[in-house]
Amino acid sequence: MSDDEYPLVKIRLRVDGKNYEVYVKPYERLIDVLRYKLGIVSVREGCGRGECGSCVVLMNGELVPSCLVLAVRADGSEITTVAGLAPEGKIHAVQKALLDIHAVQCGFCIPGVALAIKWLLDKNPNPSDDEIKEVLSGHYCRCGSYLRFIKAVKIASKYIREGKIYFDIKEVIT
Amino acid sequence: MSQVPEHIRIVEEVFSRYRSFVYVGKKLLRWDAVGKVAGRAPIFTADFVSRYRDALYVYSVRTKYAHALIKKLDVGEILNYPGVIKVIIARDIPGINDVGYVIPDQPLIADRKVRYVGDVLALVVARDYYIAREAAERIHVEYEKLPVITNPLDVIDLETLSERKHVLIHDERGSDVVARYRIRRGDVDRGFREADVVVEGEYKTQFQEHAYLEPEAALAVPESDGGVTVIVTTQCPFEARRAIARVLGLPQGLVRVIAPLMGGGFGGKEDVGNVIGAKAALAAYLTGRPAIIIYTREESFISHSKRHPMIALYRHGAKKDGTLVAVEARIVLDTGAYASLGPFVAWRATVHSVGPYRVPYAKVDTVAVYTNNVYAGAFRGFGNPQVHFAVERQMDLLAEELGMDPVDLRFKNILREGDETVHGQLMSRDLGVGLEEALRRAVNLSNWYVKRRKYSAESKGLLRKGIGVAVLWHGNSIGVEGADYSSVSLIINSDGSVTFRTGLTDFGQGALWGLVLIASEILGVPPKYFIIERADTSAVPNSGPTVASRTTVMGGAATVNAAYKLRQRLNEVASRILDCAPSDVEIKVPDVFCRSSPSRKVSWRDIIEEANWLGVPLQEYGYYRAPLAAWDEDTGQGAPYITYTFGAVIAEVTVDVETGEVTVNRIYTVYDVGKVINREGVEHQAESGAIQGLGYALMEELIHDAEGRVMNANLSTYYIPTAADTPEIIYDWVESRYKRGPFGAKGLGEPSLVGIAAAIANAVSHALGVKINELPITPEKVYLILKKSGKLVLDS
Repeated sequence: MSDDEYPLVKIRLRVDGKNYEVYVKPYERLIDVLRYKLGIVSVREGCGRGECGSCVVLMNGELVPSCLVLAVRADGSEITTVAGLAPEGKIHAVQKALLDIHAVQCGFCIPGVALAIKWLLDKNPNPSDDEIKEVLSGHYCRCGSYLRFIKAVKIASKYIREGKIYFDIKEVIT
Repeated sequence: MSQVPEHIRIVEEVFSRYRSFVYVGKKLLRWDAVGKVAGRAPIFTADFVSRYRDALYVYSVRTKYAHALIKKLDVGEILNYPGVIKVIIARDIPGINDVGYVIPDQPLIADRKVRYVGDVLALVVARDYYIAREAAERIHVEYEKLPVITNPLDVIDLETLSERKHVLIHDERGSDVVARYRIRRGDVDRGFREADVVVEGEYKTQFQEHAYLEPEAALAVPESDGGVTVIVTTQCPFEARRAIARVLGLPQGLVRVIAPLMGGGFGGKEDVGNVIGAKAALAAYLTGRPAIIIYTREESFISHSKRHPMIALYRHGAKKDGTLVAVEARIVLDTGAYASLGPFVAWRATVHSVGPYRVPYAKVDTVAVYTNNVYAGAFRGFGNPQVHFAVERQMDLLAEELGMDPVDLRFKNILREGDETVHGQLMSRDLGVGLEEALRRAVNLSNWYVKRRKYSAESKGLLRKGIGVAVLWHGNSIGVEGADYSSVSLIINSDGSVTFRTGLTDFGQGALWGLVLIASEILGVPPKYFIIERADTSAVPNSGPTVASRTTVMGGAATVNAAYKLRQRLNEVASRILDCAPSDVEIKVPDVFCRSSPSRKVSWRDIIEEANWLGVPLQEYGYYRAPLAAWDEDTGQGAPYITYTFGAVIAEVTVDVETGEVTVNRIYTVYDVGKVINREGVEHQAESGAIQGLGYALMEELIHDAEGRVMNANLSTYYIPTAADTPEIIYDWVESRYKRGPFGAKGLGEPSLVGIAAAIANAVSHALGVKINELPITPEKVYLILKKSGKLVLDS
């Protein structure tokens, strides 16, 4: 794969509300572009096979593992990472719920889990335990915070129904 | 009167003085949680990569065979590949080509032979990862294949424990036996003669993969002084520094290791940081440019240490009333291609091999051997989950043989205050011996007696229920494995904040937060004033390794020392301003006042300013060295650990007799942790240990084929528990305080996994009325056991 063999391709991405134009190799994955070209570090590679859920992003509203998407295929799409769930200085109800229930241990999986919960609640504001487990079973957490994730979905669902979408980060730190 | 060192005296004084707590034992949101959910800042090693834009990528070219001599190695074609900057082979290493942890048996780059599929032949350093990987294909190697050994019993005879004749994997050592340990307590034959019943069994456990979500990574930068700075996923930055300095042939002071927070470790990142850190450092050192290495999940699976598989023969003898009289065990551990932590794992397994019971006669022999499997090393529990599976199954067999309830048999034999362990160690009040209370609470929480009877009576139909128990002990910190010390630094800054530094690391467990709570309690400064810096060998002295559930106990004791001394000085300064006795000074930041007259008050900032004027230092280094452990190599007698964490686990399962599938419905755990320091942390451990233990019990197994190749080297084929597998987890705590622990605390990280598989196996055995002698308890295994025992005939 020398440089001349595979010329760079220009793609356009809108990530967390910001527009980018990047030159990528045709074989480059979306995850690498996000992490290493745009410096979006919360999108993390756990397995490279779409199994662990650590690298998921919302691409045009759908939950996709960014390790399985070629960057060229993402051309023109709108991508949301966990940092894009709330404006600067604030966190989203889903993130607040994860903190309320003390779900964070090593935290490697947390961005993916937060995005999955957001996606689930967008589709179904009041999911059952089985629906929650089905979505979460695509997200490995080796520290074992699963029971807390399930509770976080319910807390977040309540916040959202009450219209509490964003929380000031300063208020969260006690 | 014997001289108690000051650092121990201070811990004991704090232990006896505090009875009520402001921060200790409270559930407070850990320092790193907000940053981790917000997702804006770099946290883990690989997150820092984009800051080094001209960095080179390092790729490990690995062997094709698990056991072979390298006859010829040609990397010329790789070098000619466009974009490749350098290819590093064994003879390019400037220092010593070894990254062995306990024994110098592990070359960083294979020189003469390969011993497992993770062995590295060359490092390709290229402009990007794709180029390096692509170029690596162009290696030319001539191998002379050697017989591959994947079964440890090809190396050692289980009956005689003598080494078999075979083609040696470590011919340079002259033997493939890595370590042997033993316990001799009384005449075990006499013990068995005194026994009314004897039960025996052979037990097998599997390779378990840590599957921490963050794969290994390292980033090395050459420095102007000729040294190198390495940011690396390691639990033990000082061990990584030692290994990297050796490989580069540099003094340790020229190697700086920084350990960011990790995405899980569980013991697996105890020694892999030495390997991956040395690879990046070598590339940076030899090219003069920053170098990055990030393992793929497959590389992580095939190249870092695993949990040791065990094969064990156990024999237990007891009196009619259930009193244990004798235990005999032969234990073989497969440490794979390299020793890693294997000798220490074998020692810990030996120490705990009879379980937390009074055993008057015992004979235990443990052997760890090399094979051509992926090497085994440290994994949460460190040999202890293996032996607990065997011992706790044996106790259930004994209960069945005696017609006793398994809980009653345990109550009859467990260690209590005043008892002696199998090593002759006195379980004094000072150690904190809360096993009986833990078992009692677990029994009550789970409603054991009612359920045990109910499920026994209902053993019909397609879905069978069972309930099983296990008790456990786990020696705290490292015992006689090495010099057992730790340290922290506290620095009060002029704005009132407190910098907390230690060489102990955090891989997700949040134990450093517990240390901050300890400092907060003693200083009177709320946790939010603290800044926890990342472990950096240039900023702190060696704090010992972050292993063996020792952060809270050992790092906590060091924190007590630092905070205690600082507090004494702050009290002196405050007493001058407030005009009351130092002992009368109360610090409740932001206020400092006299307890006897609270209106006499100054601010925290005023105290700091005054201290600076008076020349009173506002920084303190806390050091703690554990009391010496003792172990007689011939008899296994002594006092191997400073204290023990105890626990009782009860598991409830449902087994589908058509599919063999086991569902864990509930897990109850009660651990005697001495004193709960960080409530959020202990809750996390209870859940985490239960879930990882469930994976170990039911689904996790790293499989090698006959050629030593790993058959399931990714998360798509190696199953770990998901949200859908997670049972209800109910926990409680016993606080039998350890006199030399911080406020009485003992460790919990590992103990929380130790008893889970044993309890689940006992529950499955109860549900089906069959013996479970092997982990993991997969549906296939259950089906075959049922078929073999003739119980597959459905009676519904």
